[in-house]
Formats: sequence, C-alpha cells, structure tokens
Amino acid sequence: MTTMTKPAALPSSLPRPPDELARLEKAWRTPSGLRFLTTVNNTNIGLLYIGTALLFFLLAGILGLMMRTQLAVPDNTLLSAGSYNQIFTMHGTVMMFLFAIPIVEALAVYLLPNMLGARDLPFPRLSAYAYWAYAIGGLAFFCTLFFGLAPDGGWFMYPPLTGKQYSPGLNADFWLLGIGFIEISAIAGAIELIVGILFTRAPGMTLSRMPVYAWAMLVVAVMIVFAFPAIIAGTALLEMERAFDWPFFIAERGGDPILWQHLFWFFGHPEVYIIFLPAAGMVSTMIPTIAGTPLVGRRAIIGALVAVCFFSFALWAHHMFTAGLGLMTMSFVSAASMAVAVPTAIQVFGWIATLWRGKITMTAPALFLAGFMFIFVLGGLTGVMVAVLPFDWQAHDTYFIVAHLHYVLVGGMVFPVFAALYYWLPLIKGQRLSERVAKWAFWLMFGGFNIAFFPMHVTGLLGMPRRVYTYPAEMGWDGLNMASTVGAFVLAAGVLLFLFDAVRTLRRPQQAVGNPWNASTLEWLPSEDYATRSIPHVRSADPLWDQPGLAEQVEAGQHYLPGTVSGGRETIATSPIAGKPLYLLVLPDDSWLPLVAAAGTAGFFLLLTVKMNLTAWACGIAAIVATVTWLWGSDTTPPISEARVSDTLVLPVGARGSASHSWWATVIMLVVDATIFASFVFAYIHISMRLEVCPPPSASLPALRWPMMSGALLAAGSGAMLWAARSIGKRRLPWLALAATGCAVAAFLVDLAGYGLAGLTPRSQAWSATIAALVSYQGLHVIVLALAGPYLAARAWSGRLTPSSRATLDNTALIWHYTTLQGVALALAVHLMPLLME
Amino acid sequence: MRERFLRKLIHGTLPLLVWAAHFAGSYVLVAAQCSPAGFAPGSPHRLPLALMTIVALAICAALAWRARRTLGGGDEHTALLDWAAALTALLAFAGIAWTSVPLWFVETCA
Repeated sequence: MTTMTKPAALPSSLPRPPDELARLEKAWRTPSGLRFLTTVNNTNIGLLYIGTALLFFLLAGILGLMMRTQLAVPDNTLLSAGSYNQIFTMHGTVMMFLFAIPIVEALAVYLLPNMLGARDLPFPRLSAYAYWAYAIGGLAFFCTLFFGLAPDGGWFMYPPLTGKQYSPGLNADFWLLGIGFIEISAIAGAIELIVGILFTRAPGMTLSRMPVYAWAMLVVAVMIVFAFPAIIAGTALLEMERAFDWPFFIAERGGDPILWQHLFWFFGHPEVYIIFLPAAGMVSTMIPTIAGTPLVGRRAIIGALVAVCFFSFALWAHHMFTAGLGLMTMSFVSAASMAVAVPTAIQVFGWIATLWRGKITMTAPALFLAGFMFIFVLGGLTGVMVAVLPFDWQAHDTYFIVAHLHYVLVGGMVFPVFAALYYWLPLIKGQRLSERVAKWAFWLMFGGFNIAFFPMHVTGLLGMPRRVYTYPAEMGWDGLNMASTVGAFVLAAGVLLFLFDAVRTLRRPQQAVGNPWNASTLEWLPSEDYATRSIPHVRSADPLWDQPGLAEQVEAGQHYLPGTVSGGRETIATSPIAGKPLYLLVLPDDSWLPLVAAAGTAGFFLLLTVKMNLTAWACGIAAIVATVTWLWGSDTTPPISEARVSDTLVLPVGARGSASHSWWATVIMLVVDATIFASFVFAYIHISMRLEVCPPPSASLPALRWPMMSGALLAAGSGAMLWAARSIGKRRLPWLALAATGCAVAAFLVDLAGYGLAGLTPRSQAWSATIAALVSYQGLHVIVLALAGPYLAARAWSGRLTPSSRATLDNTALIWHYTTLQGVALALAVHLMPLLME
Repeated sequence: MRERFLRKLIHGTLPLLVWAAHFAGSYVLVAAQCSPAGFAPGSPHRLPLALMTIVALAICAALAWRARRTLGGGDEHTALLDWAAALTALLAFAGIAWTSVPLWFVETCA
C-alpha cells in the first residue's frame, strides 16, 4: 500500500511582480569592457581564477618538458647546471603554489555558490582581492626566470643551501616573499569558503544533505587554516635570517636547519591532501552521476574526509626520515603514514561500489576518472612503500620519489581536475567538449603519463638521484630516461589536444545549459549572473533527482528570494547545521578597490625585493589607501531592517555578534594568526631544546616586572575595548578606542625596553633571534591596533558606528583581545621555557 | 549559536581529537627525552607512553560504546555528526593502537 502525501507548498507564489526579474538582473549585471576588471561576482572571479591556474599549469609543464629534454640523453649540455636548478625549482613551485592550490580554490569559488544555492559567497571582494593578488604576484614571480633571478634551491627551499652564505643573490628572496604573499591569498580564499559553506547554503540543505564536494572543500579550507601558517612562519624566519642576519637555521650559531624542515613539511604534507581532497570531493560528485545512482557509503566517505584531515597533520616528518630524527618518533610517523591509507581506502571502495551498483556510461569524465583510479592507487601503494623506514632510506632523494609524487599528484589531482573540466565546462556556454577528441586526449595523457613516470621507479631504484642536471652514459640510465622524455611529450600532446578542443568549444555560441549529464546537484539549475532566479528549498541530498520540477519552479521564482529586496546584491544566510534561514546578507557591489589593493600589495613585496624602495612604498601606500577606502564603505547601516524572502518568511537584514558571518570570518583569521604565533613558539622551543643551558651564555631575559607591566597595559587596553563595545552611540566611544591604542603601544614599548635592558641581541645566537621573532610578531599586531584604534574613533565621530553597523567595532575588539592574549602567552612561553629546562 | 554548532562539531570529531592529542603527546614526549637537553640514560621511558596509550584507547572504546546504536545501523534520522562520532571512534581506536606499535619494539632514541 502506498500513502499519498500532498506536495509541500512552494515558498513563493505566482505570478511574480512584473519588474522583479529586471531589478534582479540590474543588481547583478556583470560589467563589460574594461570595467569587467571590477567584477567581484565569485562566478566571474572563479572563471578568471581557473584560466590563470591553467596558464600556470602550461607554463610549469613547459619547464617540465625542458627538464625532460635535458635528461633525454646522458652528458647533455642543452641547459647549464644553474639554469636547470632554476627550472626544476620553478617547475615544482609553480605547479604546487600557482597551479595546484589555486585551481582547487578556483573551482570551488566557481562551483560552490551555485552548488550550495547561494547567490554568491559572503565576501566577494575578498575573493577578488585574493585572485588579483595571486594573478599579479604569480605572473611577476614567474617572470623572474627571464632575468635569471628565479629561485634555485628546490621547491622546498632547504637551508643552509638557501641561506645567505650559499644563496647570496635575490633568487631565494623572490621565493620567500612571493610565495609567502600567495599563501596569504590562499588563506583569504579558505576563509571565504568556510564561512560560505557554513552560512550561505540554500534553506533546508542540512549538513547531511550538503554535497560531498562542499564537505571536501570545507575540510580542505580548515586544513589550509592550520597548515599554511607553518610555512608563513618558516618563510618569515628564513627571510629575517637573510635580511637581518638572525641565525635561526645556522647550526654554528645555535640555529638548526631541521627547524625549517619541520615548519615546511608541517605545511607540505597536509598540502598534499589539500590538493587531493578537493579532487576526491569532485570524484564523489561525478561518480554518482556517471553511474546514475546515489553515492554508496556517503556518510562513511564524509567521515573519512574528516579523518584524513586529522591524520594528514601527523605525517609531516615522513619527509624527514633521513634527517636524523629519533628512531621512535620516526616510527610513530611511519605508523601514522600507513594509517592514513584506511580513510583514503574507504573513499576508494565507496567509489568502486557506486560504479559497481550503477550503470556506467563511458563519457569523457568517466574515462578520466578511470585513469585517476588506476594512477592514484599505484601512487598510494608506493606511498605505503616509502612509509616503511628502511625502504625510504634507500629510495630517498632518488627518481623513485619523483615517480611516487607524480603518481599521487597527477593521478590524485590532475586527472580528476581534467574529468571535472569535461564535466563542468558545459556550465559556461552549454556546450560539451567533443567525446571523440576526448578519447584521443585521454589516451595520450594516460599513456604518456605512464610512459614518462613508470620508468622513473626503476631509474630511482637503479640509484639516479633527483635534481641532477645530467648523468654519465656508463650509469645505464639512458634508455629509461629517453622513455620518460618521450612519455612526457606524449602527455603534453594530450594536454594540448584538450586545450584546442576547449578553446574551440568555448568559441561556439551560447546555448541553454540544461542538465547534460542528468546530475543531482544544484549547479545544474538554470543560472545567470544572479545565480538562480530563486533560491531553492532543498529536501534531499540529491535534489535534482528527488525533487521533480525543481528547475522549473526555481526558474519561475517560486522558491526563496525571487528578486532583490534592497535593490542591491543579497543572499540568504542560513544556520550551519540545519540550514535554517537566519538573515538577509547584503553583498557588496563591483569595485576597483580589490584590484588596486592587490596590485599595490604585490608591487610592494616584489619591488621591495629588488630594492626599488620608493616605488615599492608608493605601491604599499596605494594598497593601504584602497583597503581603508574599501573598509570605510562597508559595514554601513542596511537600507532596510527587514526583508520578505518568501510569501511567509520575513528575515532581519544583517546580524550582529556571533550570529554574523563577518564575526566568524574574524575568528577564523585569528585562528590562522594564533597558528602562526604557535609556529614561532615552536621555533623558540625547538631551538631552546638544542641547548645545554637555557638561556645560553651571554643571553638573558628581562626581569619579571617588565612582562608584568606590559601584560597589565595590554589588559587595560582590552578593558577599554570591552567598555567601548558597550558604548555605541556614546561620546566616550572614540576616546576609549584611543585610550586602548595608547595602552597597546605603551605595552609594546615596555616590552622593547625590557628586552633592550636585558641585552637581547638577535644576531648573537638563534635563541635570542627566536625571541626577537616572537616580539616582532607581537609588534606587527600592535601596529595593526595602532591603525585600528584611530580608525574606530574616526568611524564613531563620523556616525558610522551604530547599533545596526557595529561589525567593525565587534571584530576590532576580537583582534584586540587576541593581541592581549598573545602578549601574555609570549611572556609566559619565553619565561617558562628556561625554568622547565633547569 | 542556537544550534550549538561548536558543541556538536566537537562531539562529532572528539575521537579524532583524542587521536591527535595522543599522537602529539607521544611525539613531544619522545622528542623531549631524546633532545640534547632532555636526554638521560634509558631514554625514552616507555611507561608514561604506554599509560597515555591505554587512556586514549579507553576513551575511544568508551566513545565507540556510547555510539553502539549508530554503529549497529542507526536509521535515516541519525544526524550526520552522530555518524561521524561513531565511525571516527573506530578509526581513532585503530589509529592509536597502530601508532603505538613502535612502543613494543623500539627501545632507544637513536
């Protein structure tokens, strides 16, 4: 017996007001001509981002082909050793930092708004800033190759090779400043993704119903938040060593090169999963469509994604098995490296089971996914091999590792990304790529890849080390190297064929997108600049399969927010677990400011590196002015206080405190901040533990009264900010902000005086240098507060701090309290360590 | 937040947090005992590590026991984070047990 249930009423009734659609289109229209550069809509930024990342893929691929040409025959003189060093360093660096991370964020920025049913993610200007910073900084960084200034110390930049003594030129500085800067852009993207995924899902899209791809990106963004700070701290330390002669990594002055390896790989290993998990998320989204059946073990796969996130942070030291770490610590890491295979296997078995249960159509995405499974599983198996300590000691730094890492990264990321490009490209113009050309492209890529990289396992086992620019004929490596070179060019031919077809397809006229693969996720709803006409009410994990007629209803405006209520851009903020509508989130409009701020920041860092100080500072000032103008115009009183988003639902406009998306973004930024600080503290502890006596001879700490006085001043500043947060609309507010600023600055001056009187000299040995790094980091925060305090006062005096526009105050207060806590933690860490070591 | 988001998030990932604490604790304890400043004859002492492992395994076992209904199949109304708590309790238990294997046969720092 079947029970008939009455279909639930739709949120908005028909007919819709006649001018509703026109107003919506006007609010979201993408500017044309040169003004396109002002666009901040994540869908547009996502396309630019994807295009730029693919450009870097091609450029780094050309570098790879140059390396393979050089290695094709023994004793080759095509490239000099110096040029080869720059080329392999740039190949790795560009592939990892300018292609792999950006393309996964780019695809997310492009796909997620539609997949989640949002008009846009919550901070479109931040996304635009992150994109332009990456594009401008990345292209300038790549151009260093043409001037012989490209970094040449390997993509993981180990000191002492990259220290001033062995790398006196600017090459290493470009890596440190350029990549550090691009990392910040990746973190900005991660904040956008976390807040977007948690707060802008369509009503009814609970965490359980959220697409697995969104889960993967949420996990990845959280990983970025905890992993990237380590490399930011590491690059800051190495640059400070090079610029100021603070000897963090110089062994004879109390430093330790292994410290760099810890910091680099604490970022570098999670990084592998930061690249792989988005691909895994895409695979989990594509496979059910290809098989025509829901994902098998969906919840187990989500659990496995979260488990991989945790496990991946315990694996950093498996890149350091030959660095002389203790046997027991290495054994722990070795065991954890094997354990991560379990949650990864859960995903692979889920995919196989889905394919098994469904009926597979061998389309282009299916081919590339099959290639992914084959290559990635092989890479995973060699991964388990190199997790075994004795094997790793033999294979370390040989071509076996080159083969392993390419099987993991190309298999685990490049093939799924190509599958994704085939799968999602029809979203742009409604045109699918040619299936016939796709088969050629796939077999060229798949065959070429295996011909290029499989022999490297053998070359490595025969003893060929990585990074040698040539080898003598008598080593017996020539045949294998020639095979690798031929394979690399075949692989490149496959990529070129894909590009040719992509360009050809994108030049065709626009046609209706429809749902060409019969997919179940929301990005296949009819979509324009404003995303979907109305925001769907989601009742299933596979809405397009389980909610018949959804596309037509959404297109007719029968769901939520079928127009613009405020006349501008807006979306619905929903609760993080149940996806219940909370408030109307008003979004910013297009603007030149993110582009100017990004160009200014990139110019500042890059020009400072080449000592063009005046122009660099001009760029820096332009960046600050653009950012302040941008901030000054945001957090304004909303034009309306309430918004009707359906027939029956009226939501408040904007939110305050912990209900606000900007509050959460600030908290996540502070978690990044705290992790960078923790990395500096780790450096201090690591260097201290190498000492026989702490503090080392000739160094001393200030008397306790100095940190206590500084702590009291910081606490007074935080107290003033707490009072300020309760003083909206009162005349005392700006004065409290200025008083808090005075306290913070005075606290830092007290710190400086204390360390100065104690005779802290960072150049004398690494221990003092690590304390100086911690104090400098606190100083950076005090500079930010010294700008934020007067800024708050100015906003208060100009009437821009009101009960309905108080996010600036709330978020600044958070930063203030964090700085206070950080100052206290700094003093505790610095003073407790010598006591613990007594 | 009315949904108690953070609380539910911690509930869903608690077993993995236990795994992380156990791994970090083991690594730091051994690294400290094997550093130039902390080294003493007989380092690293394995008893505190073994005790830490037993406590961590007991916590994961208790979490898995608490989630036994979910592990037994649950139903369509079982919340995702409850599923995560159940599944990761098993994963974390296996992870801790496996990561601690070196304690049985590695005796010295070098």
